Amino acid sequence: MADSKVDKIKYGILKVIDVSGFKVFDPPVRLLFGEEPQKQIKDIGRYMVLPILFVVGCIFLWTVIAPTHKTKSGEVPTPTKVWTAGQDSLRFHEKEDEKEKAFFLSGEDRLAEIKEVEALQAELQAEFEKLEAISKETSANAEAETAKKLAPLQKEYDELKAQYKEAQTARKAALTALSDKVAAKQAKSADLVAAIIDNDTKTDAEKGKLKDIKTAMDDIRSNPPKEVKEAQLAANKVADEIQHGKKRLSYLTTGNLSEKKASFVAKAEDAETALAASTTGKDALKQAKYVVSNTEKADKADEQKYPRAASIVWQTHRSLLTVIVGFIIGALIAIPLGIMCGLNKIVMACLTPLISIFRPVSPVVWLLIFQIVVGAFFPDPEKHPLFVFLNSSINPLSYFQTNPAMIFSACTVAMCALWPALVNTALGVSSIDPDHLNVAKVLRLGFWSRLFKIIIPSSLPLVFAGLRISLGVGWMVLIAAEALSSSDGLGKFVWDEYQNGSSQSFANIILACFVVGIIGFFLDRLMIILQRFVSFDESATL
Amino acid sequence: MSQRYVEISNLVKAYPNPFGDDFRVVEGLNLNMFQGEFVSLIGHSGCGKSTVLTMLAGLNEISEGGIIVDNKEIDGPGPDRAVVFQAPCLMPWMNAFDNVMLGVKNVYPHATPEERKQIVEYSLARVGLKDSMKKFPRELSGGMQQRVGIARAIALKPKVLLLDEPFGRLDSLTRMELQDVILDIVAQEKLTSMIVTHDVDEAVFMSDRVIMMTNGPLARIGEVMNIHWERPRDREEIFADPKFFEYREHLLSFLEQRAHLKSDFHDFEDNRQHGKDNLLSFVKNPMELYGAENSHKA
Ligand SMILES: Nc1ncnc2c1ncn2[C@@H]1O[C@H](COP(=O)(O)OP(=O)(O)OP(=O)(O)O)[C@@H](O)[C@H]1O
Ligand SMILES: [Mg+2]
Repeated sequence: MADSKVDKIKYGILKVIDVSGFKVFDPPVRLLFGEEPQKQIKDIGRYMVLPILFVVGCIFLWTVIAPTHKTKSGEVPTPTKVWTAGQDSLRFHEKEDEKEKAFFLSGEDRLAEIKEVEALQAELQAEFEKLEAISKETSANAEAETAKKLAPLQKEYDELKAQYKEAQTARKAALTALSDKVAAKQAKSADLVAAIIDNDTKTDAEKGKLKDIKTAMDDIRSNPPKEVKEAQLAANKVADEIQHGKKRLSYLTTGNLSEKKASFVAKAEDAETALAASTTGKDALKQAKYVVSNTEKADKADEQKYPRAASIVWQTHRSLLTVIVGFIIGALIAIPLGIMCGLNKIVMACLTPLISIFRPVSPVVWLLIFQIVVGAFFPDPEKHPLFVFLNSSINPLSYFQTNPAMIFSACTVAMCALWPALVNTALGVSSIDPDHLNVAKVLRLGFWSRLFKIIIPSSLPLVFAGLRISLGVGWMVLIAAEALSSSDGLGKFVWDEYQNGSSQSFANIILACFVVGIIGFFLDRLMIILQRFVSFDESATL
Repeated sequence: MSQRYVEISNLVKAYPNPFGDDFRVVEGLNLNMFQGEFVSLIGHSGCGKSTVLTMLAGLNEISEGGIIVDNKEIDGPGPDRAVVFQAPCLMPWMNAFDNVMLGVKNVYPHATPEERKQIVEYSLARVGLKDSMKKFPRELSGGMQQRVGIARAIALKPKVLLLDEPFGRLDSLTRMELQDVILDIVAQEKLTSMIVTHDVDEAVFMSDRVIMMTNGPLARIGEVMNIHWERPRDREEIFADPKFFEYREHLLSFLEQRAHLKSDFHDFEDNRQHGKDNLLSFVKNPMELYGAENSHKA
C-alpha cells in the first residue's frame, strides 16, 4: 500500500517533468525513488553531467578569451563582469522601487521610513569612512610602492638624458667644424652628408631609448595594483548607496507627494488669510489668484506619478507585455482567418496572394509602416483618452507607461507573428480526417457544432504548433523593433547601452542578450506545455 | 412486417472521369428491403458495396435512380439512418459519453439535459460499456471503440442501421461478441439493417438475405440468397446445421468465380453480340481474353 503511494508521487513528478519538457530531470527523480540506479546514474552522467561540463567549459573559454580582445568600448566583458552587471541592474531596479515607495508614502509611515533611512544612512556613512580610509591607505601604500619602482627608472632616465644632451652638443660642434672645412674646400662634401645622416640616426636612437623608459614608467603609473582599484570600487559602491539614501530622503520630505500637496494647501490658506486682510484692490486680486492657482495645484497633485528611471527589469516587463499583446492580436487575426481558409477553398484562393506577398516582408518595413499609421491616430498622445486612462495613477497598468511606440511595436509583432499561426491553422482545418466529417454529416451536426465540436478540436494541435512558432518569431522581431524605434523594452535597453558606451555598457548588452534568450526559452516552453494540453493524448490525464 | 421499407431502384453511381467518360461504378441496382429485414452485401473488393451503402446513408450523391425509405425519397443523411463505419471514427478529444452525446443533441432538440443523459447512458449500457463511459478512445480497446460507435448510432433511435465492415478490424472473438450485440439490438428495435462484409460466415449467420454483387465497374446484383432460419439464432446450433455449409459453399463459389474477373459486364455473351463492331472484334475468340477460368461459364 505504502509502495503504491510512493509510486503515485513518483509518476506524478515524472508526468510533470514530461509535460513541461524538462526530460533531463527524469533520471535523477527515478534515482531518488531507487529505480534501476545504475541505468539512472549512467543517464545522469550522459545527459546532465556532460552537458553541464560542456557549458562550464564554454564559460571558461569565454573567461580566458574575452580579455584578450580589446574593443572601442573596452575589453570584452568576462562572465564575472556580466554577473556583476546583472546584480547592479537588479539593485538599480530595487532602488527605483524604494524611491517610488518613498514618493507615495504619507502620514505615520512616512515618518517611520524617514527614521529608518536616516539610521541606515548613518551606518552607511560609517562604513564609507572606513572603506575610504582603507582605500586611501592602500592607494598611499601603492603610491609608495610605485615610487619605489619608478625611482631607479627616473634616475636612469635623467642620467641618459644628460648624457645624450652632451653627446648631441658634441656632435653638433663636430658638424659645424666639418661644414666649415667643406666650405673652405678642405673636406669632401660627401663626408658632410654622411656625417649628417650618422648624426640623425644616433639622435633618433637616443630619443627612442628615452621614450621606452618613459613608457615603462607610464605603465607603472597607470596600472595601480588591483587592491587599489578594488578598495576604491568598494568605497564607491557605498558612496552610491549613500547618494541613493539622500535621494530617498528627499522623496520622503520635500519631494514627497503628500508633502507637496500639503505645502500647496498651506500656501492657498496663507493667501486666503492675506486676501481677507488685503487693503488695496490690486493686492486682493493678486492674493485671490494665488488662492486659485495653489488650490488647483493641490488638486492636481494626486495625478502625479513617480518619474521612474528605466531599469532592465522594467524594460523586460514592458517587452513581455508588448510581445503578449502583439501575439494575442496576431492570434486573434490569424486563427479565424486560418479557419476560414481551411474551411473554404474560395477564401483560401483569395487570401493566398496576400499571404504570399506579405509574409516575406521584413519586420523593419512593417515597423516603419505601423509607426506612421499608428502615429496618425495619436497626434497628441499625452492627451489621448486611451493613454490618459492607461497611465492614470490609479490604473495598475500605468506601471508600463503605455505609449504609441508600444502600440506600433505590438502591431509589428502581430504582423510578423501572424503568418505561421495562419498557415498552420489553415493546414490543421483542411487536413481534418474526412471520416470525422462523415460522422458529423450522419449525426446532422449544424455548422457551429461541427466547427466547435469537430473541426476546431481536431485542428488544435496544429494551431498550437503554429502559435508556438509565432510567439518565437514575435519575440525576436520585438527586440529588433524596439532597438530600431526606441520603443521602451529590452531592445531599447541594448540600443541605449550601445549608444552611451560607458565601461559597464558592453557587460549590460551581454546581460540583455542572456535575458532575451532565457525569456525566449521560457515562452517556448510555455507554448509546448499548452500544445501538449490540447493534444488529445494528454487531455484526459491533466 | 412484410412491407417494403427501403426501395432502391435503378441505382447508378458514376464518378466523373477527368477525360470525359464517366466512371460508372454501380449500374442499375434494384433492391427492396422489408421492415426489420437484415440484408448483407458481399462482393469483391472495389465492386461498390461501400458506394451503395453510403448512398443509402446519404453521404454519397446518387447519380441516377432513387432510394425511398419509409415512403420518402432520401435527400442527404438523416437521423432515421444511422451508420457504423469500419473504423470507429470516434472523436479522440471526447470521452465515450460525449462521443455518443454528440448526435443526441441534434436528434432530440426538445429533450431536457437529463433525458439526453439517460438516452446516452442507455445506449452505452446496451453495448456493454456501462463502466467505461468516462473513458477516452485511446483508453479503449478497438472492440470497445467500435461498441461506442454502435452506441452512437443507436442513440439516434434510427429506423435503418447501416454497417460498413463494422468488424473488419477486430479479432474473431470480439467479432462474435459484437455480432450478438448488433443482432440483439436489431431484433429489439426492429431495425432494418444492411451490413457490408467480407466474411461469408458472418453474412450467413446474421442475415435474412445475402446480396451478392458482381464485380465493378458497372456492378449489379449478381445473385440473391435467402436464408431461412428463425430468430433469435443460436450460433452453435447454426454452425452445426448442414445447411450452413450449403449456404457458405454457395457464397464462396460465387465469389471464387469472380475472383479473376475485371468486370462482369464483359460477359461472354455480351461480347459475342457486340463483337462485330466493337474494339474487341480483332480477337477471334473472345474467350481467350478471360483465360481458362471463365470457360466453364460458357
Ligand atoms: N471518389 C471517387 N472517385 C472515383 N472513383 C471512386 C471514388 N470512390 C470510389 N471510387 C471507385 O468506386 C469503386 C467502388 O468503391 P467502393 O469503396 O464502393 O468499393 P467496396 O466494394 O466498398 O470495396 P472494399 O470491399 O474494398 O471496401 C472502386 O473501384 C473505386 O475505385
Ligand atoms: Mg468498402
